[in-house]
Amino acid sequence: MTEFFEVLDRDGAARLGELRLDEPLQTPTTVDAVLEDAGSRWVNSRDEPEGSSATLTILPHRGMPTGTRGVVQEAFAPSIPDVTFPSAAVITPHLADDLGADAYVLSGLTGIDRDPRRLVEAITETRRAIPPDTALYAPGIAEPASVALLSYLGIDLFDTDRSVIAATQGRYLVSEGSIPVEELDELPCPCEVCRPRSVADLDVDALTQHNIAQLDAMLRLVRERIGDGRLRDYLEGQVRHQPWLTSAMRQLDQEWSYLEERTPVARQSAMTFTTDDALHRVEVVRFADRLTSRYRPQLDEHPLVLVPCSATKPYSQSPSHRHFREAIDFRGHIVSLTSPFGVVPDELELVYPAQHYDTAVTGHWSASEQAFVTDVLEAYLRRASYPRIIAHVPAEGYRSVIQEAVDRVGGFDLTFTVVDHPTDDDSLSHLSSALEGEWAYRRNRRYRAIVAAIADMQFGPGIGADLVSGAEIVGRYPRLRLRDRTDEQLLTLVPQYGQLAFTLAGARWLAAHDSVDHVVAIEGFVPHGSVLAPGVIDADPAIRVGDEVLVEGPAAFGVGRAAMYGDEMVESSRGIAVDVRHVQER
Amino acid sequence: MSEPSPEVYERGRGMDAHNLVMRELRGERDEQYDPSEPTRVWIDEDNTPGGIYQSLTIILNTGGCRWARAGGCTMCGYVAESVEGGRVSHEHLMAQIEHCLEHERSHADEVSPLVKIYTSGSFLDEREVGAETRQAIADTFADRERLVVESLPDFVKPARLDDLVFVGLEVDVAIGLETATDRIRRDCVNKYFNFADFEDACEIASEHGAGVKAYLLMKPPFITEAEAIDDMVRSIERCAEVSGCHTVSMNPCNVQRYTMVDELHFRGGYRPPWLWSVAEVLTQTADIDAIIVSDPVGHGSDRGPHNCGTCDTGIYEAIKAFNLDQDSAVFDRIECSCRHTWEVVCERETGYNQPLVH
Repeated sequence: MTEFFEVLDRDGAARLGELRLDEPLQTPTTVDAVLEDAGSRWVNSRDEPEGSSATLTILPHRGMPTGTRGVVQEAFAPSIPDVTFPSAAVITPHLADDLGADAYVLSGLTGIDRDPRRLVEAITETRRAIPPDTALYAPGIAEPASVALLSYLGIDLFDTDRSVIAATQGRYLVSEGSIPVEELDELPCPCEVCRPRSVADLDVDALTQHNIAQLDAMLRLVRERIGDGRLRDYLEGQVRHQPWLTSAMRQLDQEWSYLEERTPVARQSAMTFTTDDALHRVEVVRFADRLTSRYRPQLDEHPLVLVPCSATKPYSQSPSHRHFREAIDFRGHIVSLTSPFGVVPDELELVYPAQHYDTAVTGHWSASEQAFVTDVLEAYLRRASYPRIIAHVPAEGYRSVIQEAVDRVGGFDLTFTVVDHPTDDDSLSHLSSALEGEWAYRRNRRYRAIVAAIADMQFGPGIGADLVSGAEIVGRYPRLRLRDRTDEQLLTLVPQYGQLAFTLAGARWLAAHDSVDHVVAIEGFVPHGSVLAPGVIDADPAIRVGDEVLVEGPAAFGVGRAAMYGDEMVESSRGIAVDVRHVQER
Repeated sequence: MSEPSPEVYERGRGMDAHNLVMRELRGERDEQYDPSEPTRVWIDEDNTPGGIYQSLTIILNTGGCRWARAGGCTMCGYVAESVEGGRVSHEHLMAQIEHCLEHERSHADEVSPLVKIYTSGSFLDEREVGAETRQAIADTFADRERLVVESLPDFVKPARLDDLVFVGLEVDVAIGLETATDRIRRDCVNKYFNFADFEDACEIASEHGAGVKAYLLMKPPFITEAEAIDDMVRSIERCAEVSGCHTVSMNPCNVQRYTMVDELHFRGGYRPPWLWSVAEVLTQTADIDAIIVSDPVGHGSDRGPHNCGTCDTGIYEAIKAFNLDQDSAVFDRIECSCRHTWEVVCERETGYNQPLVH
C-alpha cells in the first residue's frame, strides 16, 4: 500500500508527484539527500531498519547488476518487510511486483545506461509490474540530458551520482549532453557558480556544483512541462542532440500499449509537430485509429469535398475555410487533409488534438507524411459510400496523395477543382460549379452529425446514431447541447477539446446502452467532487485519462472525467481516480 | 527437530542457483588441452618468510577442481582449461613437470629456490594428484628450499603434508580463502567452506611443519568498491591473526571466460576493482604482522583491475615494488585525476547502482 507518495498529474507515462516526507518533495526530482540506505545483504544479514518520516529508507537489499540471471535473482531476492515509514524496495524488471513499498529502486540500470532498447524494456517492464501509484527510482544514471526522457519513460526519482562523477572526469554538463572543460572558451551557464567564474577558475568542486545545478534546472523544466502536458513536445527537440536519446524515444513509441494506456484522450494545451517522429505520437495514431474504426462517416450521401487544413484552428474559423464553406454551401461533406492526422472530417475539427496542434508548414510533405496521410485516407474511404469525390486542394503534395488513395480503393469519381490556389476566385467558382445540382442539407443535420461523430469517437461505433435519434440539438455551434423528448438535457459539447460532457440524464442513457463500458464501480459511498482510488472496486481497462466515465456504486450513480486510466484506478491505493461532475444518491 | 531458518534455506537456494548457472556457462567451452603440457609456467621473484627468492611457478593441469564440476566459484574460469575425461595420469603429470624444468633451464641461469605449484584446484586432492605423483614431485624438487602447493582446506591432511615436508622442503599450502567473510564467500563467490575450515587447515599445517599462504579475492561480483575494500582489509587482519598463516596474497578479481563474472561483465553488470583500491588496502594493512602481496593479473585492461588507463602502469609497478619491500609509501607518489572519480565511486556506489563507473 502506497502511503508516502502520490501522483498528482500525468503526461503520458510521465508523472508529477509528491514524495510525502516531513519536507515533501515534488517529483520528478533527485532524492539522494533524503535517502537512508539500510544496506546490502550480499555482505551482511542486516537488521530491519528503524526508518524515519524525514527520509526514504531503502530496505535491506541485494542489488542485482545487469546480467544477473533470473534463477540467481529469484534465489537471492530478500523478503521485503512491511513497514510504517516511507520505504523503497530494490527490485529488477524480473523481480518487479507489488511489494508494499512506497517506492521501488530499479537495480542494474547502470549497466544498460545509453542502451536504448534495454533501457526502455527494463523501465516499461518494471513500471507495468509495480503499482502505478508508487514512485520509481532510477539510481546512478541521471544526467541533465537524459532526465526528460527518463521521466517520459515513467521514472520519478533520480540522484546526483552522474553529475558528481562527470565533474571528476572534467565534463561540464549542459542540457543536451556534456562538454569537456578543456574545450570550453567561456562558461555558457548563468548559474551562481558559473556567472562569476572563467573557465580557468572552474575547479572540481565548482564543476560539481554547476553539474548538480544544471540537473536541478532540467528537473524543474521537466516538472513544468509535465504540468503543461507538453513534455513530449520538448523531447522531440531535445533528444536530437544525442542519437541514443532519439533511439530511446522511438523505442518507447514502439511500446504502444504502455504509452497509449497512459496518454490522456484530451488536453487543453497545444502540441507542436515538427519532426517525423510526431507521426508516431499516441495522440496522432489514436486519432487516426479511432477515425478509421470508431467513427462512422457522416453525410456520405453527399459528395465528399477534400480541402487542405488551415493554420487557424478550428479550421472552420479560418478565412480559407470560410471561403470553402461559402462555395460548398452545405452541398458536400467537408473533410480536411492534414499532416500529421491524415483526415479530419468537419464534425471532428474540435476533437483533441485536431484543433490543438501547430506544425511546420513548408508546402512540402515528407515521404513518411505522404505515406501516413495516404494510408489514413484510404482506410477512411473504404468505410464510406460517397457518390463522388471533389478534391479542392493545391497541386503540391495533396493531389498525388488523394489520387493514390482513391486509386487503391477504386470506384470513386474524382474531380480536382483548384486552378492555382484554393482560395482564388477561379478555384472557388470551380468548386461551386462542381457541386451544381447537389441538394443541400440543413444546419441542424450538420449539428446532429457532429454530436453523433464525437460520441462515436468517445465511446465506439454506433453509439452516436443511437444517441441523437429521437433527441434534439439546441444551441449554436460550437456550443451544442442535446435534449431528449422530455426536454431534459443529456449532454453539452465542450468546445475546448471536442468532448461530450454528460448530465445525469445523459449518463443514465449511457448506462442503459449495451455498448458503453466506461464504468467505474465504487464502494458504497456518495462521492462529492472526486472518487479516490481506494474507493474504486473495478474500472473498465479501456478508460483513459480525460475520458467521460460513469460512476456506479451501491449508494451512488454519477458521471465525471477520469483522472487515471482504468487499471491505474484499480491498482492504486492513493490519488484521485475520477473528477465527478454530477452525482445522485441511490 | 528444529526447522532450518529462512536464511539457511535462502543460502541453499542461492548456491543451487549459482551452481546451475556456472555449470551452464562452463558447458559452453569447447577447448581441450594436451594432458602432457602444463597450463602455464613462468619464472618470477617472490617475497617469502625466508626472504626474496627467484620462483618457478607452475600451473599444473590436473583435470581441474572437484567443486568446479558442481558449478563452482563465480569468478573462476581455470576449470575451462581442463582436459578431456577429467583425470590426468601419473605419466602425463610427470611429463608436465619435466616440461616445467625444461622451461626453467632455458629461461633462468640457476634453479629457483622457490617452487609454486597451482592446479586450478587442489594439489592435495588425491583425485587430482595421486599419492604416487605427489611423492614423485616432492622428490623432484627436494633440492629446492621452499615449495608452495595450492589446496582447498578439506584436503590439508597430515599424511599428505608429511610427503612434502619429509623431503626437507619448507612447505606452504596456498589456500584460496577468497575472503574471511563467510557470507561473501558463500553468496558472491559461491565457495562452500567457512573461515573456521580455513583455521582448522592452518592448525593442521602448523602442527605438521607447514605454513599457510592465504589467497584473497578482491571484489567478487555483487559487492561495491567500498565493500570490497572493507572486506579485504578485514580479511587480511583476520588471516594474519591465524597462527600458521604467514602470508596473504590479496588479488583483485579479473574477468575469466565461461564464468558468471564474465557474463555480468559482458552485460555491463561487473567492473573489476580499481587499482586505487588495491593500493588502498595495501596501505591500510601495511602495519600488519604478515607478508601481504598482490598480483593484479590483467592490470590496466577492461577485464582486469584498472584505473583510467593513464596511471595503470605506474600503480602496477608500485604494487610490484610493495610486494618485495612492504613499504606503502610507494603509493603516495602516484597522482592522477581519476583518483577523484574513484573516491566518488567509493562514496556513492551501492549494491543497486553498481557499477557506477565502467
